[in-house]
Amino acid sequence: MDGIHDLGGKQGYGPIEVDDDDRPFHEEWEGREWGIAQCARTPGITIDWWRHCRELIMPVDYLGRPYFDSWAQTDFSTYIEAGWMTLEEIAAGKSLVADTEYGEPPSAMTLQQVLQEDHEHAIRFDGEIETTPVFNVGQQVVTARHGHAGHTRLPQYARGRSGTIQAYNGAHIFPDLSAAGTEVHQHCYNVMFAAAELWPEASGSKDKVYLDLWESYLSGD
Amino acid sequence: MPDFDAKKVAEIHQHLHSHLPSEPALRVKALETLLVDKGLVNPQTIDAWIEAYTEEIGPKRGARVVAKAWTDPEFKQRLLDDAPAAIDELGYLGKATAHLKVVENTDEVHNLVVCTLCSCYPFSILGIAPAWYKAAAYRSRAVRDPRGVLAEFGVDIDDGVEVRVWDSTAELRYLVMPQRPAGSEDMSEDELAELVTRNSMIGTDRDLGRE
Repeated sequence: MDGIHDLGGKQGYGPIEVDDDDRPFHEEWEGREWGIAQCARTPGITIDWWRHCRELIMPVDYLGRPYFDSWAQTDFSTYIEAGWMTLEEIAAGKSLVADTEYGEPPSAMTLQQVLQEDHEHAIRFDGEIETTPVFNVGQQVVTARHGHAGHTRLPQYARGRSGTIQAYNGAHIFPDLSAAGTEVHQHCYNVMFAAAELWPEASGSKDKVYLDLWESYLSGD
Repeated sequence: MPDFDAKKVAEIHQHLHSHLPSEPALRVKALETLLVDKGLVNPQTIDAWIEAYTEEIGPKRGARVVAKAWTDPEFKQRLLDDAPAAIDELGYLGKATAHLKVVENTDEVHNLVVCTLCSCYPFSILGIAPAWYKAAAYRSRAVRDPRGVLAEFGVDIDDGVEVRVWDSTAELRYLVMPQRPAGSEDMSEDELAELVTRNSMIGTDRDLGRE
């Protein structure tokens, strides 16, 4: 979707707020939200559906509220949509269903167990498919001119542009369908774009921008 | 199970916009309270995740990877060829690093990493991303005005150096390998790891030196 989240190349956001702050969390609630996001995922959710739910936050909230706050709102929306909680329960501040609805509460995990889970969470998104890749390394390709109303990972700034296949990444789960609940693999490539191809002010620049793009975003030059 | 109903989610966001408390701490408290009340989450597990990403998992891991690559050419080659396997040797493989790619700075090339569409980041080797990395200013400008962005970090790139920006649009994650500082030949891996800044592994820092 051509949403507020698609920020690449947009202008008017001002200078970077550079700081040397190395703390992972600046407020206690940021850490709580990080932890919630790690251990409370509705069954059947995909990372792309979660991302799409974040993209669907109203622009005023997406830009105006703190980063981890947008995670909390995304979690709320995925939990409500999947039937884990209701707007009425949020208003009431408590569960309005019987205790037994979800079975036994999970037992507490220790630091070591969490570290082990992080290690096991090295999830691979590539897999085997029967078709062979259409494009070869070094080949010129053109990106699709338009996106669609759903989730996609072809940013607006890189649409209708010519690039060069720089590497083949394997067949990865296609996010546009995964955000709608269907996990199918599709060939994915790293594509190099000359900055001058993307931006009028970059004329004459030798700088490059690299994106990882799925085959259906691309066509031969 | 989700219904994957985007229209419904848009309506939920509109409702939450009007009905959630404004204060983020209260919103997250409400979320946790409901999850615990429903028996879906154990609050001590949340504590453990916070501890993991405060005390154990962070940019010190990435710095160790870089310092080892500087001192061990065979490890460096394995890292460039198959980064997930190489970082697994150190026990650092984990969240968001299963498709890690390492891009190397040279005298001729400077690499910079961004996620313009959300805020993808190689958690298990760099920890929680800095605030600026997740902010609209960096996400919008890194792909369009990388030299201007770098200048704001105090990094001036010579005209002869090519800037390569990596926009994390898929499940691949990027780690920049900064150049080993000149004059550091006598330093141990431990000492070198101290020189590697978090920003240098994102690409918003370039010339590392003895402090």
